[in-house]
Amino acid sequence: MKATIKQDLLLPFIATFAVMTISLLVGQSFPDEASPRMESNFSMAVPRTVEELTQRSITRDYGYAWESLDRALSSNSPGLLDAYFSGPAKTGLASAIASQEKTGIRSHYLKQSHKLEAVFYSPEGDVMELRDTAQYDLELVADGRTIQDEHAVLRYVVLMTPAADRWVIRQLQAVPRF
Amino acid sequence: MWSLINTVLPGSRAFQARFLLLGLALCVRQASLAQTAAPRPPDAVVAGTDFSISTTGSGKATFYLVGPSHSSKQQIERGQDMHINGDEAASAGRYLAILCSDTCQSASFYVTPDDRASLAFLAHPSRVPVREANAISGVVFSFDKFHNLVLTPLAVTFTLTADGRDLASRSVPTKDGVAWLRIRSGDAAGTIQLVASIGGLNVRRVVRQVASDPCNLRIKAQRTVRGIVVETEPVRDCSGNAVPDGTIVTFTKMDGAGKSTVDAPIKQGIARTQMMALPGAVISAASGVVMGNPIRLSE
Repeated sequence: MKATIKQDLLLPFIATFAVMTISLLVGQSFPDEASPRMESNFSMAVPRTVEELTQRSITRDYGYAWESLDRALSSNSPGLLDAYFSGPAKTGLASAIASQEKTGIRSHYLKQSHKLEAVFYSPEGDVMELRDTAQYDLELVADGRTIQDEHAVLRYVVLMTPAADRWVIRQLQAVPRF
Repeated sequence: MWSLINTVLPGSRAFQARFLLLGLALCVRQASLAQTAAPRPPDAVVAGTDFSISTTGSGKATFYLVGPSHSSKQQIERGQDMHINGDEAASAGRYLAILCSDTCQSASFYVTPDDRASLAFLAHPSRVPVREANAISGVVFSFDKFHNLVLTPLAVTFTLTADGRDLASRSVPTKDGVAWLRIRSGDAAGTIQLVASIGGLNVRRVVRQVASDPCNLRIKAQRTVRGIVVETEPVRDCSGNAVPDGTIVTFTKMDGAGKSTVDAPIKQGIARTQMMALPGAVISAASGVVMGNPIRLSE
């Protein structure tokens, strides 16, 4: 009788503990394999020297921007662009998503790595131009069929501007060469 | 010996038939590969211009065009040229032309910006003290009519004008699509314009030059029935510009009763205050880092 009561008390306790542990593990931020690998160099920026805190912000926010770009283009959700894109970059990507939706295409930017180099930082600190040598596995899926699967190495010219609490991409333009 | 190491083909009919079948299969495979040949886009495309992408082979296929801000899909007959409208390739960047039937073949190409059509011109600050080195900065980005950043070098002319007169002018080439300058502010207070020009494109920004710190602060005092009225002469900066109203002048009085200070704003170029002072008091004035002439009241 005593053992039964103990079991009755113990089981819900174990179950609750298990549920709490799992929910904590789910919420915990493990290093994300999908996060872009980032390298950056700000020593070439002119005319203003890039402050260390700004260097960290740019590297972090540019990585987040590409993560959200991948999520937005793979799920055709333009709302995911809001946090890290503005101006022509946001308009262009939103337009890309709208036409992807029409044609049944989804784009996946997998295993990203970015090599960022700042080339211009305005005297007042209100705009920065960067070059990015990006590598990723580009997978295009149309109507459930993979129509393109390649390892791409692309060069981008990027304009970033400061927003309230982060840097956002205003211009993202692939170029054949720097 | 030599004949031993050479391959000897069996002469049976069955083997010859099999050999023929293998050859046929290889030919069919080659033909199939030809059918799925990649589309051929032009080497260079300028944003917003019409162009064609050629395909080879025969049979039905699906053609995809995927670009930075546009993608399209259409059913085509292989061998026909795909006409692409300029508005489908308005964004500069990398495009993919993909042709799919049993398998998919693709080709990539770049769309480059059109000629410059607009300038993004950032000028700072909107108010600046006169005669200050590197006080005004201008940054210009050049874009085409589709908002693509124009990366080919262009000469930007920055001109500083006041009342229709050119005060300074400098030509700066763009590098990576951007040109910038820093320039000293002028001597006279008032409105000036910083103009950035490329070819026939002009964009102007207004900068208000204001007087710098006061210079040669001079005061005078006058006895009245209610005490001493102390006032400055018209307060000007070292270039002779009237210091703006509201600038604070601090009057300090020292006498037998001790030290007292009064902050007075400049109104219509003059700061004025009234104080009680004992005979022999010393009154001085200061604004910013500038001290005025001290006055000693007669015994």
